[in-house]
Amino acid sequence: MNAPVAAKDVEDAAVQSVLRKLAIVWTEFEGALESTELIRRLNRGQLRLEDYQAFLINLRQQVVDGACWISRAASNISEDHFDLRSTLISHAATEHRDYRMLEENFVVTGGSRDVIRSAPKNPGSEALSAWMFHTASKPDPFEMIGAMFIIEGLGSTKAAGWGRAVADQLGLETGAVSFLLYHGENDADHMQEFEAMLRMLPLDAELEERIVTCARVTGRLYAMQIGDML
Amino acid sequence: MTQRLRTAYITGAGAFLPGAPVGNDAMEPYLGQVHGRASSLGRRALRWNGIETRHYALSPDGSHQHSGASMCAAAIRAAAESAGEGLGALDLLATATTQGDLLVPGHGVQVQAELGVGPLEVASFQSVCASALMAAKTAWLNIRAGEADNAVAAASEFSSRWFRPEFYDGSDLIDAKGRLPMQADFLRWTLSDGAGAVWMQAAPSRDHVSLRVDWIDMVSLAHQYDSCMWAGAAPGQAHDLSRSWSAAGPRAAFQAGAIALMQDFTLLKTIIRAWIGEYLKKVDSGRIVPDQVDRLLLHYSARSLREEIIGLLESTGGMIDEERWFNNLKTRGNTGSASIWIMLEELFARGDIAPGERILCIVPESGRAMVGFMHLTAIAPDKETRP
Repeated sequence: MNAPVAAKDVEDAAVQSVLRKLAIVWTEFEGALESTELIRRLNRGQLRLEDYQAFLINLRQQVVDGACWISRAASNISEDHFDLRSTLISHAATEHRDYRMLEENFVVTGGSRDVIRSAPKNPGSEALSAWMFHTASKPDPFEMIGAMFIIEGLGSTKAAGWGRAVADQLGLETGAVSFLLYHGENDADHMQEFEAMLRMLPLDAELEERIVTCARVTGRLYAMQIGDML
Repeated sequence: MTQRLRTAYITGAGAFLPGAPVGNDAMEPYLGQVHGRASSLGRRALRWNGIETRHYALSPDGSHQHSGASMCAAAIRAAAESAGEGLGALDLLATATTQGDLLVPGHGVQVQAELGVGPLEVASFQSVCASALMAAKTAWLNIRAGEADNAVAAASEFSSRWFRPEFYDGSDLIDAKGRLPMQADFLRWTLSDGAGAVWMQAAPSRDHVSLRVDWIDMVSLAHQYDSCMWAGAAPGQAHDLSRSWSAAGPRAAFQAGAIALMQDFTLLKTIIRAWIGEYLKKVDSGRIVPDQVDRLLLHYSARSLREEIIGLLESTGGMIDEERWFNNLKTRGNTGSASIWIMLEELFARGDIAPGERILCIVPESGRAMVGFMHLTAIAPDKETRP
């Protein structure tokens, strides 16, 4: 009777170890975000409408790509890990229209749809997208789960608070901040879902390293993207 | 020739809590009523922080029964007695407080004057809760380096005096309905008065268990976060030092609400994650091994915060069994920098620390995203090597 318990303990310890390292990477990422000019202005109650519009324009270009790199990662997951492939496909399906919400929010703030659709990616967004597609193109790119931890973590941890702060400071209706509020509400079970996904993976020290590195690089590039917005 | 570093031990601990314990229903006369009306936040704040009794260095009429320095001196006298040493043996006094009795000079020299001992080396630390461990690190390193044989790390807070109506009435902090904003009122229901001290030496006590100081690590993340708890700037202006209280002068600063102590609760949530990140880094590197910690003394300002962090610690393998947590926030109140010593003193005075026990003290400071860690190991009385 001892063996299965021991095996579960080993699995639990492996999951805990990855979650611990990811929690550390997350706090480093959050610290970097908090010291960007855009988030500083938001935290200090000094946000201007053009700052929020710059945020929407810049974020849209990366969100368009988001569902695409998740789909590409899914297409590279082998049949042996079919459950994970399914999870990624449904995740991509849920998110692939999200960029339109950013466009709507931009229009509600008085912006033109043509402007937000035709804006180029900023350097941080370029680097982030290139990194995502590169990683998703590898066979069995399990490390993408580290990138998802960072991006989903933004939804569950920061989005709702940012959305409310933007609306308060700029006197906007919720229709102008729906992307942030939606992600704040819907990414709340992030930790539990994430743990379930981790348990689908053949976790070992080498994979742990790949996941944590992917999370760290994604966090650095994401913070660069936010830093490049103003 | 290089000299080896010595080992330093806490051989005594003392605490001073002014007056009788004050229950939740008896608090308001001590704090007074801002704008002549009862606080609408008080009950909620008390449910949130879980404190049931605390001590005040004030009388209900607002008069001061002690000073921050006199409370600190009383705790040091108790620590000397606990260590079995006379105050005359002291080489170094390292003190901590959030706000001293005078703006200038520092807390340390006032405490020395109250003690009436010297000449003495003094180090005076002013920050918030973690200043206790800054003082401890100075005492510890001076013993280690052979610069002192008897050193004290002491801390005191006299917070209640800043919470009297005179600090708010007539200022812009009070809204049209005569209420204080939560960022100013909440702390009135959370912080209270007291002092604590530890005596450190280069050898364990002959008579009782001592606590070897294994390491003290301090981390500040002020380069990434704004001030989260402050006094000296109006609400929303703590990031702009060019507009701090001194720029407009004290009268205008009071009018703007820049004198009161305040806390940003939105930022606090982010900073709590940053503290947990620093703790998990230590778990991940093996500096802290949760299963090998026999007692955890964690300074937290509210019971509800404790509950928020447990889920995250469990999922990341960072949890220390709750049975091994020791805390007296509920009965002694939140005394800021003095809290960690007031906890340690209670544990020490109970006399049930077994040799070999490993004690981890964690002191987060919301002031501007700092956290301190101190690791102790209990050592049996040593009748052999001690002179």
